[in-house]
Amino acid sequence: MFESLLHHYNYWMFIGLMMIGFYAMMAKKNLIKKIIGMNIFQSAIILFFISTSVKGGGVTVPILEHPEGAQGGFVDVMKYANPLPHVLMLTAIVVMVATLGVALAVVMMIYKRYHTLEEDEIALIRRKQGLKC
Amino acid sequence: MKTLSLISTIIAGAFLIYGSMDMPHWGDPYSPASTHVSPYYLRNSLKDTATPNVVTSVLADYRGYDTLGETTVIFTAGMGCLLLLKKRRKK
Repeated sequence: MFESLLHHYNYWMFIGLMMIGFYAMMAKKNLIKKIIGMNIFQSAIILFFISTSVKGGGVTVPILEHPEGAQGGFVDVMKYANPLPHVLMLTAIVVMVATLGVALAVVMMIYKRYHTLEEDEIALIRRKQGLKC
Repeated sequence: MKTLSLISTIIAGAFLIYGSMDMPHWGDPYSPASTHVSPYYLRNSLKDTATPNVVTSVLADYRGYDTLGETTVIFTAGMGCLLLLKKRRKK
């Protein structure tokens, strides 16, 4: 049990962060708080992926040192962190920003129409108007 | 509603922690993520693309189609924001 904690505690941290975001998305009534929860969720996934690129102690960022000397030579793979998760998470950050922008635009339109961001108040207004909610 | 979401959050977190038991150890240099294709990128990036930054060469060269799709995502999101936020003509 202790062995497992020592080797997997990074995953558990990110699971905790992810569940905080998940709970905020489900339980909070305010739409902006829901969006903040979604961002926490996505940040947890990004941190999780970045943590898989670590290779023990003594590794540096995946930028090759002395490019002139290494030309055609041997590159020590164990010296650099895995570049692939970094690239994938760069894409994921872009998608995160895109979803955040669209979500904020939708929330802005909701606020313009109902003058509130609380879910239950919006449902009440819609019910008064005889609409489904 | 709050207790229901708390219960489902705890159940999902327990499943994820159970699943994390089979993950490779943190910092394992021989984990599947760091052994399959990433050594190829590290060894050949300078030869193939003449870029010391491996992240840049993978992003813009080896996986350029991924970046092309990313720009499509950005374009779609921007168009969505524009269509949502533009002033509507009163009927």
